[in-house]
Amino acid sequence: MDNLFIALFEILSFGAIVVLVVLGLGIIASMMGIFNFAQGEFVLLGAYVTYVAHRIGLPVAVGMVAAPFAVGALGFVLERLVVRRFYAAPIVAMLGTYALGLIIRESVRGLIGGLYISIPEPIGGSLNLGTLHFSMWRFVIVVITALVMAGSYVLLARTSFGLRIRASLENPALARASGISTDRIYSVTFAFGAALAGLAGALIVPVFSLFADLGIRFLIQGFVAVMVGGVGSFAGPVAGAGVIGTLSAALPWVMSPVVADVLVFVLAITFIKFRPQGLVSGRGI
Amino acid sequence: MVYDRTELSRRRFLSNFAFASAAVAVGPGSWVIRPDWANAAEGSIKLGIATDLTGPIGYAGNADANVARMVVKQINDAGGLLGRPIELLIEDTASNESVAVGNVRKLIQRDKVDMVLGGITSSMRNAIKDVIVARGKTLYIYPQLYEGKECTPYLFCTGPTPAQQCDEFIPWLIKNGGKRFALPSANYVWPHTLNVYARKVIEANGGEVIFEEYYPLDQIDFSSTVNRIISNKVDVVFNTVIPPGVGPFFKQLYEAGFLKNGGRLACVYYDENTLGINQANEIEGLASCLDYFKALTPDDPVSAKIQAEYDKQFPGTFLFAAGSAATGTYRGLKLWEAAVKEAGKVERDAVAAALDHAKITEGPGGPAEMVPGQRHCKMKMYTAVAKNGSYEIVARSAGLVDPKEC
Repeated sequence: MDNLFIALFEILSFGAIVVLVVLGLGIIASMMGIFNFAQGEFVLLGAYVTYVAHRIGLPVAVGMVAAPFAVGALGFVLERLVVRRFYAAPIVAMLGTYALGLIIRESVRGLIGGLYISIPEPIGGSLNLGTLHFSMWRFVIVVITALVMAGSYVLLARTSFGLRIRASLENPALARASGISTDRIYSVTFAFGAALAGLAGALIVPVFSLFADLGIRFLIQGFVAVMVGGVGSFAGPVAGAGVIGTLSAALPWVMSPVVADVLVFVLAITFIKFRPQGLVSGRGI
Repeated sequence: MVYDRTELSRRRFLSNFAFASAAVAVGPGSWVIRPDWANAAEGSIKLGIATDLTGPIGYAGNADANVARMVVKQINDAGGLLGRPIELLIEDTASNESVAVGNVRKLIQRDKVDMVLGGITSSMRNAIKDVIVARGKTLYIYPQLYEGKECTPYLFCTGPTPAQQCDEFIPWLIKNGGKRFALPSANYVWPHTLNVYARKVIEANGGEVIFEEYYPLDQIDFSSTVNRIISNKVDVVFNTVIPPGVGPFFKQLYEAGFLKNGGRLACVYYDENTLGINQANEIEGLASCLDYFKALTPDDPVSAKIQAEYDKQFPGTFLFAAGSAATGTYRGLKLWEAAVKEAGKVERDAVAAALDHAKITEGPGGPAEMVPGQRHCKMKMYTAVAKNGSYEIVARSAGLVDPKEC
C-alpha cells in the first residue's frame, strides 16, 4: 500500500514535469504550425538563467521568476530575426530552429565548462507522512504545472487576446482583414511558448542539475507527446504529454528499465499508426 | 524576379562544391605546440594526444590535454627527451567515435606521431585503437579507469582496473556500510564488466547482491529503483549510473531517506569534478576509490607539487582529477618518458619493450610501475568519503595494488 502511494506520486510528478516541458512546444506547434527544435534549448536557457541568478548571489526563487521573462524575450527576438522567415516552409523551419538550438546548447556548454552543476531548490527536503517520504520540490512542481496549465487555458480560451491568437491560427487572411496584426500575434505566441519552456527549465533544474544536454533529453519525448496528443489544439499536446510522461515513469516499476524505454516509443508509434490524428483531433482549444 | 540572386546556378553549385570539398580534404589543422628549438639536428619527437576537447565529456578531455601540455613543457624545459624536443600534437576526438577515427588518422598518417595517448570512454578506445596500433603501427597509451580486459599488444593502460578499484574498497564498504548491496548501472560495457568483478568480490567477502539493474544512458527518473532500494533495506548502493542520470538518482535516494536510515553510497568514478553534481548534503558519506584525490596533497609533497603546478598553469574549470583520466595521463606520459630514455630511441618495439617494465617513483598519488607482460599499471589506491562538499581520505592501500589483467 505504501509502495502504491509512492509509485503514484512519483509517476504523477514525472508526468507533470513532461507536461510542463511540452506545454510550450505544444502551443507553438499547434498555434503556429511549426515544430520548434530549439524548444529543448529554451528549457536549458531557463535552467541557465536560474543558475546565473544563483551564482551572483540572488535567491534561486528570483532566478526562477526571471527565467520565463528572459527566455520569452529571447524567443521574441529570435522570432523577429529568424523564425518568421520559415513559416512558409515547415521543414526548413525544423532545420533552422535546430541550428538555433545547437548554437544555444554549445554556447551554454562552453559557459558552464561542460560540467554538471547542482542548484538547490528554494523549498527543499521531504514531505514526511508516517514512514513515507515525498520530495517537497516535486510536489511544488505538480502544483505549479496545474496552475500554469489552467492559466494557459484561460488565456487561450477566455480572453480576447486568446481569441485573436486562435483567429490568426485558423484563418490568418480573415484575421488580418479584421484588423488583427497576425505578425505581432505570431511573435507574442512564440515568445509565450519560449517563456513556458524557460519556466519549465527553471523549475526542473534543481531536480536534474544543470548540464548542456538537459533540453535534448526532453525534446524527443516532447515530440512524441505532441504526435500522440494531436497537433492543432491546446488540449492535444497536454494530453499527449500526460500519457507519455506517465508511461515513461510507470513502466520501469513493472519491467526492466531498458525495455520500458523502448516500449514507450513502440506504443506511441503503434498508437499513431491507428489514430494518426492523435488523442484530440481538430483545432481550437 | 527578386529571387534571381538567390537561385542556385550550376556554376555556383560547382564552385561551392569545389570549395567545400577542398576544405574537407585539407581539414582544420591539429593543435600543434612546437617548442622554439623544434628544428634541432635530429628533429623533434612527436607526441600525439587524441582526447575529447569538445562534446559531453569535454571537461575531462581538456584536463587531459592540459596535463600533456604541462608534462611536455617540463620535459622540454629540462632539455628534452634523448636531447630532442617533444612536439605536442593535440587532436579533438569530440566525444564522437566517427569524428575521432578521422582525426586520429591525421595524427598517424599526416603527422606520423611516435606515440598516441588518449581516449576516455571505452567505446572511444575501441574505435581508435585499431587505427593507432594495427594499421598505424604506433604505440598507444590509454589513461582512463576502465573495465579491464584490454590486452591488445602495444596498447598500455595507465588507469585503475576493476581489481584495483574493488579488491580493497568492497571489504571496506562491507565493514563501513553493510552486507546488502544494490548495483544500479548505466547500460554499457563498463558497468556490465565491472559489476561481474564487483559481485565476485562482494560475495567472496560475505556480502550479497540484492539486485543488479541496468538503465538507458539518458534515463533521469529513478523512482522505481529508489523504491526497490528502500523497500529491500539495501545497505550499500554501489553505483555505476553515469551523468546525467546520477545527479537526479542520488537526489531521489536522499529524498527517500536512504542516507538518513544509514545507507552508504559508493561510486568508483566519483572525483572532484562530479562532487558538484549534487548538493553536499545529498551525497554526504559517498565513498569512492581512486588512484588520486586532491585531499592527498597535505601529506604527499609530490602530489602537492603536481597539483600546484597544474592549478598555476591552468586555473579554471578543468580540474586535475582522477576520474577525468588526468592522473592516468600524467602517469602514462612519465612512464613513456622513462621507457624512451631506457630504450634510447622512439622506435615502437624498443619503447614497448622498455615500457613493459617501466617505473616512475613520483606521480600523483605515489609511484607507479608497469606489470611486466600485462601492459597495465600497479599503483597506490585510496578510499575517500565525501564530507561537506570535499573528500576525506579514509583508507590507503598498503603498497602498489596489482591490476590483475591479461
